[in-house]
Amino acid sequence: MNDFELLKHHDIVTDENFASQTYWKGVFTRFFAKKRSVIGLIIVVVIIVLAILGPVLSGYEYREISSVINPETGKEVVAKGLAPRIPFLHKLLGKAPYDDFFADKTFLFGTDDLGRDLWTRTWYGARVSLLIAFVTIAIDVVIGMCYGLISGYFGGVVDSIMQRFVEIANSVPRLVIVSVLAVFMPKGIGLVIVALLITEWIGMSKIARAEMLKIKELEYILAGKTLGASNLQIIFGDVLPNTIGPIITQVMFSIPTAIFTEAFLSFVGVGIMLPECSVGSLIEDGFNNITTLPYQIIPPIIVLALLMLGFNFIGDGLREALAPKLKDM
Amino acid sequence: MAKYIVKRIVTSVVTLLIITFLLFFLVRIMPGNPFPSERMTDEAIAAKRLEMGLDDPIMTQFIRYMKKVCVGDFGKGTSLYNGAPIKTVLNKAISNSFKIGGIAILLGTAVGLILGIVAALNRDGFWDVFCSVFSILGVCVPAYVFLIFLQYTFAYKTSLLPYFFDSMNFFKSTIIPSVSMSLFTMSTIARFTRNEMVEVMDSDYVRLAESKGMYGTKLVTRHILRNALIPVVTVLAPLIVDLLTGALVVEKIYGIQGIGKLMVDAISGEGIDYNYVLALGIIYSALYIGMMLVVDILYGVLDPRIRVAKKGGDK
Amino acid sequence: MKLTKKILCVALALAMVLSFAACGDKNEAAAPAADAKIISVMLSTNVMSLDCNLATDGDSFEVIADCIDGLTQMDADGAAIPALAESWDISEDGLTWTFHLRDAKWSNGDPVTANDFVFAWKTAALTNEEYGYMLDSSVGCIKNADAVMYDGADVDTLGVSAPDDKTFVVELEAPVSFFDSLMYFPTFYPLNEKFYTGLESGTYGTSADTFLSCGAFILSDYTPGAASFSLTKNPDYWDAANIKLDGIKYQVVGSSDNALTAFKNGSLDLVAISGSQVPSAQADANLSSKIKVTGAGYMWYLSFSQTKANANGGQLANANLRLAITNAIDRESLVDNYVMDGSLPTYTCVPPQFAASATTGADFSADQTMFADVCSFNVAKAQEYLAAAQKELGTDSFTFTMIYGNNEGDEVSKVAQAIKEQVEANLPGVTLNLQAMSKAERLDKMQNDNYDVALTRWGPDYADPMTYLGMWITDNANNYGFWSNTDYDQLITDCTTGAYVSDYDARWAALYEAETLVMNDAVIAPLYTKSNANLISDKLSGVDFHPVALNRVYKSATLQ
Repeated sequence: MNDFELLKHHDIVTDENFASQTYWKGVFTRFFAKKRSVIGLIIVVVIIVLAILGPVLSGYEYREISSVINPETGKEVVAKGLAPRIPFLHKLLGKAPYDDFFADKTFLFGTDDLGRDLWTRTWYGARVSLLIAFVTIAIDVVIGMCYGLISGYFGGVVDSIMQRFVEIANSVPRLVIVSVLAVFMPKGIGLVIVALLITEWIGMSKIARAEMLKIKELEYILAGKTLGASNLQIIFGDVLPNTIGPIITQVMFSIPTAIFTEAFLSFVGVGIMLPECSVGSLIEDGFNNITTLPYQIIPPIIVLALLMLGFNFIGDGLREALAPKLKDM
Repeated sequence: MAKYIVKRIVTSVVTLLIITFLLFFLVRIMPGNPFPSERMTDEAIAAKRLEMGLDDPIMTQFIRYMKKVCVGDFGKGTSLYNGAPIKTVLNKAISNSFKIGGIAILLGTAVGLILGIVAALNRDGFWDVFCSVFSILGVCVPAYVFLIFLQYTFAYKTSLLPYFFDSMNFFKSTIIPSVSMSLFTMSTIARFTRNEMVEVMDSDYVRLAESKGMYGTKLVTRHILRNALIPVVTVLAPLIVDLLTGALVVEKIYGIQGIGKLMVDAISGEGIDYNYVLALGIIYSALYIGMMLVVDILYGVLDPRIRVAKKGGDK
Repeated sequence: MKLTKKILCVALALAMVLSFAACGDKNEAAAPAADAKIISVMLSTNVMSLDCNLATDGDSFEVIADCIDGLTQMDADGAAIPALAESWDISEDGLTWTFHLRDAKWSNGDPVTANDFVFAWKTAALTNEEYGYMLDSSVGCIKNADAVMYDGADVDTLGVSAPDDKTFVVELEAPVSFFDSLMYFPTFYPLNEKFYTGLESGTYGTSADTFLSCGAFILSDYTPGAASFSLTKNPDYWDAANIKLDGIKYQVVGSSDNALTAFKNGSLDLVAISGSQVPSAQADANLSSKIKVTGAGYMWYLSFSQTKANANGGQLANANLRLAITNAIDRESLVDNYVMDGSLPTYTCVPPQFAASATTGADFSADQTMFADVCSFNVAKAQEYLAAAQKELGTDSFTFTMIYGNNEGDEVSKVAQAIKEQVEANLPGVTLNLQAMSKAERLDKMQNDNYDVALTRWGPDYADPMTYLGMWITDNANNYGFWSNTDYDQLITDCTTGAYVSDYDARWAALYEAETLVMNDAVIAPLYTKSNANLISDKLSGVDFHPVALNRVYKSATLQ
């Protein structure tokens, strides 16, 4: 008789109540367990889908001016500054038809000062703004985090020099940098992205550096050092995951900053080229008529606010999902 | 610490000098003529360039300029407010922008901090939700839209406050612009404070303090706030510089003679005014570098660990 | 939670402190007497300079003219009537003008003398600032002005003199038929020599203390760049009895929407609104009667770079291509749908409404169909021109960039976009990209011939077609198209200093001839002549509006 018996493979019983999960699977589960994050995700996805499909669905081009020739005078009449109108719904409600040349046209959000459909332009603008925001922020996070973490980790002379460089980069007024850039680069989306990159990574690096300063004296880092972990390993392996929280908060706030900076750049003439538009430029345009035609500014502001809300919910969810605290598990 | 501060001040001054040169150089390659040129002949422009020494080697010009700036003389404009000494124009603009910006900073920071702390202490409660919604609105509605809203409600509908900025009636006429400018700072600070607080409150040492029976005001001020405030200070610094240097559209709408509008006027009039762009650029840089200096020193005050590390680093 | 309450208390206290700070404001200005007739007027940009030699913009000219009188002033129709000069004599050959000054005082008590004019004009010739050219042979033709300004001759040779305190004599190189109407332009205003030279260089006109009035109003507070400032009535003005206002408060308003609200609120008595606000003002029963459209003078036009060396290989040097573009633009639609402030579609390169013939009184450009065969909205013809251009240049598609200023008025970007849509729709094969930039950059690009098409404007400096036609002579600094035509140059020389100077009608006819050359070649594409849509309070009446030189004059204004 054998004292010991070999176990067959299938006889091993794993604990099914606390099954071991991969890290990312855990993140996934934790993220979707929260109602808020799901709502945020839905908002953002819906806006992205509308940004892609909205302009197609309306039947108008983003730059298309709706106009007719007045048969009496032979002059062109442009559908400018119209309030939102849906003739179908209008009829359904039993109201008298619109008394102008555009009685049968549908403008869900109304038209702008040039007689262009604001629905189309809002979603087209959302597309442009999202593109600019995503590209710049993705690059900013990479640059800013690396810079800030390295600067904070090494401290001393390295930190001092790196921070002086940040000061130089940050303290030249943006308008000056951008005007000079425009001499060397064609104006348009590319220039906007470069202009945003030049200044926006700095906020990110500040946060990363501050976090590094806080974390680097903690026991687990010291332990890592004692055990002979390389600097790179400590910075990117041990510290980086723990800075995710504040970085995500910063990213959420960078999105509207990017969108508004883009609008400001368009305003001073180095942004996107007309007749293209962005959420920021639509807000600026709407602002010109804010008391007389207030509906012009409302759609872009709501889109921006919803985007922000969505990103914030996602950000909160992500932060808690990525760096779980005992309380949340 | 004293040694560190002195060293930090010296590097700041050197940085400022480098920036000034960089600015001096950048301004020269900006597109546009330094003079209003629509009705001027090429000869007249050439004569003006000669008179102002714009064709000298750039180092010569820079040294000449710095000599003057060091005694506080920014020279006179090339096209903006023709020939008026920049000092007289700047004095007014700076005093307006600093006062309004200063009130906006105080208001924004104070209310933002309070809101953030209350939200963190009431996690997932009413104040927390309020704080999230408020901070989202504050960040994505531009200050000038708030301004119009306030102007419409308090100046147009009710005449409680002046419709335009009036330097004779300073306090009343700062309320609308400074409140609208403070909202961005307020929401950013509220949001950051809340998140940092939450993070700190979940940390082991706070749990330890709690388990040892520490609670209430003492716990919050001694342990939580102090640690949560460090990143907040970092966020605040650039916001302060932005607020002090004025908000272009707010100034334009409310009729404030301030720095933001001056900068845009200097760049986009009929001619680009080198001397104004330079003067404003230097002020902006000096403010920014000054803020960074303060932040670095504050770090030491707020976080003893950094102080120790700095000492170690300076040996 | 206890702590929450505490914090809320602090917040509440803070709010109270702030509101107390607001209430405890003892700094309020002494309220002016309730019946003081002070009007609040909107300016759309800052006053750039109060020095009559340095000022370059309409708003500055307006404020200077409120405070300083010229030899003549404008009547309600823009004709020159006596101001500081009681009367004047013109020699038979038209070359010597003798002005007899009336008794008038500067606001420091000094009398206004002929020497103040001599000093001012000599200063203008010496400094040769942007408007210095008003003295030279292209406009004022003052004797030796060219030599002093461009060849470094002694300034004392300038043809101005003061035989006695009350007589001011001007000698001209050639007769200038509109010389009396030049005299209300600020470049020709007097300067008090003792006061001016007693100030630190560059500080004249930078505050109420460094500025002297001799006109209807006195500057009471001002700093350069001020967003608001005020003037008060000058009790020592020679015509003080006829000035009905006690003061003017100027307020710079940057947004038209805001201007409209401020007007509705009663904060401003006179504002100019942009086209976007006009429909809503018209729809408002309270406002529609208060709208007054006045000519602003400016003509907006497209400038084409016509040099071969241009970035696009000088495609726009082809006249047919330029004609195609100018005929593809629906100016009526631009004005009706986008500008909307009463601006006039313009088909002549000298805009209407500012230059009337001295003999017939007829507007130089009253007939806008004069050049209908080369400049009108005619898609078929535009396409014919395009086909010809395509054949001549051997290519079917053209891509141009149109530059325009982003700080030159609300309607400019709308007009630019509308032109893009019209040109691209009506001329298949032509692409017009848009590029916004600051005015400084736009001018720089135009002066250095680094552009294809520019949306630009020009305002008349004096009431004669030459203020426009003078631009297109070879090598003129404002000839941004770099167009050159010897016949044209000859015609213009004949009109300014040559054969036609003493024959008014022949000169007038020659000016038409010159205009025809410009239009046939489509050197520029005129678009519209700008108007201002003003809102004027019911209480305010008698403000004179002019398209040229001084846009608004308040000398006969009254406030109820």
